[in-house]
Amino acid sequence: MAQTQNESDQSLRTTLTFRRWVTWVGIFSLLAFLTFLICVGFGTEFIPPATLLGILSEGFMSQFGDNQTMGTTSVIVWQIRVPRVFLAFLVGGTLAAVGAALQALLRNPLADPYILGISSGAALGVALAILLGVGTTVMVAPILPACAFLGALISLLIVYRVAVAYGRFNTHTLLLAGVILNAIFGALIMFLTTITEPTRAFSMMSWLMGTLMAPEPTTLLYLVVYVGVGLLLLGWQAHSLNILTLGEEVARSLGVEVERVKRMVFGASALLTGAVVAFSGLIGFVGMIVPHAVRMLLGADHRLLLPASGFVGGIFLMVADTVARTVFSPAEIPVGVVTALAGGPIFLYVLIAQQRKGV
Amino acid sequence: MAQQERNTSKRSVLAQGLGFGGLIIAALVFLFLLYDSHLSFAYDDSMKRRQQGILTGMPFMSNIAPRTFVDNHGRKLYLATPPKRIVSLAPSVTELLFALGLDDEIVGVTEFCNFPPQAKTKPKVGYSSPNLESIVRLEPDLVLAPRAFLRADLLSKFEELKIPTFILEAKLIEDIYSQILTLGRMLGKTPEAITLSTAMRKRVGTLTALVENLPRRSVLYILNTEPLITVGPGSYVHHLIELAGGRNIAEKAAMPYPRLDMEEVLRQNPDVLIFSGGKFGGIPDVEHTKWARWKSITAVQQGALFEIESDLINRPGPRVVEGVEALIRIIHPNVFPNSSPSR
Repeated sequence: MAQTQNESDQSLRTTLTFRRWVTWVGIFSLLAFLTFLICVGFGTEFIPPATLLGILSEGFMSQFGDNQTMGTTSVIVWQIRVPRVFLAFLVGGTLAAVGAALQALLRNPLADPYILGISSGAALGVALAILLGVGTTVMVAPILPACAFLGALISLLIVYRVAVAYGRFNTHTLLLAGVILNAIFGALIMFLTTITEPTRAFSMMSWLMGTLMAPEPTTLLYLVVYVGVGLLLLGWQAHSLNILTLGEEVARSLGVEVERVKRMVFGASALLTGAVVAFSGLIGFVGMIVPHAVRMLLGADHRLLLPASGFVGGIFLMVADTVARTVFSPAEIPVGVVTALAGGPIFLYVLIAQQRKGV
Repeated sequence: MAQQERNTSKRSVLAQGLGFGGLIIAALVFLFLLYDSHLSFAYDDSMKRRQQGILTGMPFMSNIAPRTFVDNHGRKLYLATPPKRIVSLAPSVTELLFALGLDDEIVGVTEFCNFPPQAKTKPKVGYSSPNLESIVRLEPDLVLAPRAFLRADLLSKFEELKIPTFILEAKLIEDIYSQILTLGRMLGKTPEAITLSTAMRKRVGTLTALVENLPRRSVLYILNTEPLITVGPGSYVHHLIELAGGRNIAEKAAMPYPRLDMEEVLRQNPDVLIFSGGKFGGIPDVEHTKWARWKSITAVQQGALFEIESDLINRPGPRVVEGVEALIRIIHPNVFPNSSPSR
């Protein structure tokens, strides 16, 4: 925490110039675009860059309609890989941005929607909705993100209550609260899967493992809308978040409406987490490690940290999903497994390093 | 020192006692073998080895007796008389037992045992995590368990409680035939077992002969659409699809139940999509909508989306014959004159 504060003090002193912002965001968006192209090239069969560029340049809109006449490779590129890699980018970016915002709000570098139990709250919402027959499928119904939003909001409020009950935010209390929430929601989800019919339970379980599928354009559109609204809300609060990291009293004395900012960030985080979980299940650790790495690189000014985390998180998940798609090709492994295997050890390292510093 | 000596001497006395007892038992078994070999020699394929044991006069060979059975886990089970209270821990085993006419001997089944109808009236003992207490209460003298799903702790508990347990596993259709024969021998239904397995073998032979020389059609078997989960090499359904003249498009997958990349489906372009389903439930409209999106797939273009009653092809039991026939009707509809698979 002290580290975060020091960094934020420092970065507030070295004022963020517009030029610096544009440079970094430019660099990251370019990197994201390149990663996107590379990831689209990989799959059950590698598509050489020349062929790939040919297919991609053949035109965008003409490819989306009728695929009966298209070559298999272009169907694969346009209807499977491009939507899926784009979905990975959106999901990863959203999780990382939410993680960065929560880390500022809870003044805790280990905050992450997955670790704090917010994702499992959202998952419980979705599982309930599926059980009650709201959506016949995980992917299409736009109502599922709303249920996930409610679940995420409830667990976020519980986590916050626990944190507040201890006065100043304490790392271990917060982690403990997350663990307990995860356990409770996990148990409820398990209960739901045991009382549903086996085929549905099966589908639910495999979705919970964290899955990215090639979404239909309309589905992708829903997600873009949800995520767009949420990210705008978050970005709007970036400056207030900077001041909040100095402590609530300081922020209040500097004229920040602390309660309003908190409500806004919590609401946006729940909305974003809900949308992402409804579309891709539980994908962990992206929201924790990415903002951490970006903060080490760029400092803790949230006006830059939020978008940069978004891009890096997107890049991270695009790569992770490409790994998930290709290692056992033609079979896949759940992308949540890949991110947890990559992120878990880093999480432990951060926890130990923090302890050494005596925080 | 003294104590150690005493221990040693005790042990040697014990060893002598055991040796003596062992001799008596061996002699008894030997006599029993002589007696029994006359009765069962027509059916028993282990006869050769047994006779060798007798001829060479090695009593330890006598453990390969007609009443000793080796299960698919490599465990030996000796049953002096055919068991009268049997608990089945798999729907396929329940179907086998009923097919052998053991209606009265079955005292416990799983909650998924729904065939034949009278199986539903038997006491239930759970499935993937069977209720140990309810099994013990049934006082079984034999538990027939599938290898999949059987937990090691449960098995050791059965051993501790001295409940004879026999583990069955069928990966190929051939395994079912030999299982039927083993069960028949074990449960005193040898003639019925021979009749059943011969009839099954004959019918399956006739069916597979129909499609043997036909070009193989590519098949995608769908367990779940989102994410796409199918069967791969090493699974029983994969084996049946191949028997029915199909080519499973997930044949390159490294695991028996892979999540398949949609890209692979488009690349392999299956001729037929088969949905694992319930009895006459029909393919849900949602599935039709989901798959309608992939218009480049031959099966989607031609509307070759079919449902199969999953119990027929998931259970390595007597109804596998119907399962193979249903698969052939879907994959090669023209080999039967009046075929109408459920769309």
